[in-house]
Amino acid sequence: MPIQSGVLLISLVLMAVIAGLFISAVRASRKPDTGAPREAVRTRFIYALLAVGVIVTAVSLRPWPHAISAANGPSATVNVTGAMWYWEIDRETVPLGVPVIFNARTTDVTHGFGVMDSQDRLLFQTQAMPGYVNQVEHVFRQPGVYRVVCMEYCGVAHHAMTNEFTVAAAN
Amino acid sequence: MDNNSAQRLPGPQAGAVKFTMLLAGVVLLLMMIFGFVMRAAQGNLIDLDPAMFYQLLTAHGAGMVGTAGLTGAAILWYFMGRYVPLARGVFWAFLGLFLLGVVLILGAIFIGGYAGAWTFLFPLPANSGGVWGTDAAAAFLLGYVAIGVAFLLLYLEVGRKLIARYGGIGGALAWPLVMGKGTVEDAPPPAVVAAMATTIFNTIGTVVGAAVLASSLVNLYFPEFKVDALLAKNMIYFFGHVFINASIYMAVIAVYEIIPEYTGTPWKTTRIFAVAWSLVLLFVMAVYPHHLLQDTVMPAWSLAMGQIVSYLSGIPLLAVTAFSLIVYLRKANAMRWDLASALLVLGVAGWSVGSVPAIIDGMISVNKVMHNTQWVPGHFHTYLILGEVAMSFGFMMWLIGKPEHKAAGGFNWAAFSAYVLGGTGFTLMFLVSGALSVPRRWAVHAPEWVLQSQIATGFALLVILGAAMFVLRYLLGLKNSSGR
Repeated sequence: MPIQSGVLLISLVLMAVIAGLFISAVRASRKPDTGAPREAVRTRFIYALLAVGVIVTAVSLRPWPHAISAANGPSATVNVTGAMWYWEIDRETVPLGVPVIFNARTTDVTHGFGVMDSQDRLLFQTQAMPGYVNQVEHVFRQPGVYRVVCMEYCGVAHHAMTNEFTVAAAN
Repeated sequence: MDNNSAQRLPGPQAGAVKFTMLLAGVVLLLMMIFGFVMRAAQGNLIDLDPAMFYQLLTAHGAGMVGTAGLTGAAILWYFMGRYVPLARGVFWAFLGLFLLGVVLILGAIFIGGYAGAWTFLFPLPANSGGVWGTDAAAAFLLGYVAIGVAFLLLYLEVGRKLIARYGGIGGALAWPLVMGKGTVEDAPPPAVVAAMATTIFNTIGTVVGAAVLASSLVNLYFPEFKVDALLAKNMIYFFGHVFINASIYMAVIAVYEIIPEYTGTPWKTTRIFAVAWSLVLLFVMAVYPHHLLQDTVMPAWSLAMGQIVSYLSGIPLLAVTAFSLIVYLRKANAMRWDLASALLVLGVAGWSVGSVPAIIDGMISVNKVMHNTQWVPGHFHTYLILGEVAMSFGFMMWLIGKPEHKAAGGFNWAAFSAYVLGGTGFTLMFLVSGALSVPRRWAVHAPEWVLQSQIATGFALLVILGAAMFVLRYLLGLKNSSGR
């Protein structure tokens, strides 16, 4: 399951739970003695939220999501440059199965370098900002054509700022 | 002195506030229509030139954020008038400067063709690719400056009066209670604590915004005056995040002040409430790097802080404000429901529900695939349409004050239902589209994304219908002598 579907599912469940608690409280508001939660419940709720927070933080930040690990083994580097309103990519083919480091630059305003797979599913992104080089690493698991899109509003042809590259097994 | 039950001062500027809310209601409707047009264009239901789409996008963003701020400020002013004597002229100066800003912004967009989005991300205002000129960009930025000055004036007046009345910032924030030294009876009312905290963080946010606006303005006419894009981005998102959050935190004052009239239980400044607001003061300012999670040149600690504080920010909201409201509702014996109480409760519920996708998007690994997709407007439309804006409409309905001791009438129920159903469907379509990787702020959508936009357009129409009924109800209610 793509990460996006999991995120949507978890979000909708939690949103429904909160909405349900409010709906239940609204219904109870017309009746006497429906039993309001006590302060001890609030305290336990806060501790529970903190505990969940610690676990989620530890799991989601280790390893560091922006880590560039490619220096330790075989890798490829791709330089991408955004400009109003096109992407320049310094290679047409990117190797399959090895870490690929993208260096994102811009010649004018801020753009968002995003890469989508053949199903138009966003795989990763980073910002391309004047005066800086943002790095992002990705390992492609499927060969094929990948689409580059702009993920930061950059003016009147923002939506048309696309390009593509091919992922293929290295010879 | 017992501050919670202190004698309320008579004569908050009801007339000025009512007029402001009328203006806000009309502008909200207009901005919703802009949103409807954009979704219809993305759904291929109408033909819209991309240049016009991005102008509408810019107007919608600036207009909605500005109007949320305006309604929040009117609520803050109205209720602080109950506790401290506020100088009337300040509110009129605030409103005048605000409207001057609106005129400049609308002129920049619809006369000058400015379409740099409400976030004026440096150096886009100065580099339009030939679409708009320097003067249009300058007019837009000057419009923001005028609105910023308006807010600073308002906060200066509210802040100095609260500090004088409650013995300093700490007194108004109920710090003695936080330290375990004061009592609930001696603490200032919840509205005052919220107003003091908001005054502090939105003053800081506005000053930072003014600094980056001034730099961008100088750069427009003197390009050799270089601005660091990363620094500018940090300042813009600090300002933007703080400002829109301040709008919600000001609007919730209406909940603290009005809901007790319905439940019969006063909303008190307890120790946990005071601690929560002091944490909010800190979190609102520390969390902004969660807008820069895809700027990998940012120090790693700042991005980790953005993720962690983003999560922590949910705790005061869920465990204090939402939890307390649920307790008050459950404790009520025969809660009186009308359009005002329903919208105010909806506001807290929508805000709480909307915090979930926001917090999840604040995780770096999730943000990598969700940032700047329609997931983002999905979560902020939830806590605006069903949150801040619902609270503002609730305040408006309370202001016109027609007693409704029975359940809401057919008109009110229809308006409320249309608004909730439309708002829920509209925001869900954004979230689903975000999960399907549809980028936000694209004038033209791929064929496979069109259906969600079309469905969203229908829901947008429902939201507009509900909101139009609220505004109509308010307009008619203003003639009602039983209003406040």
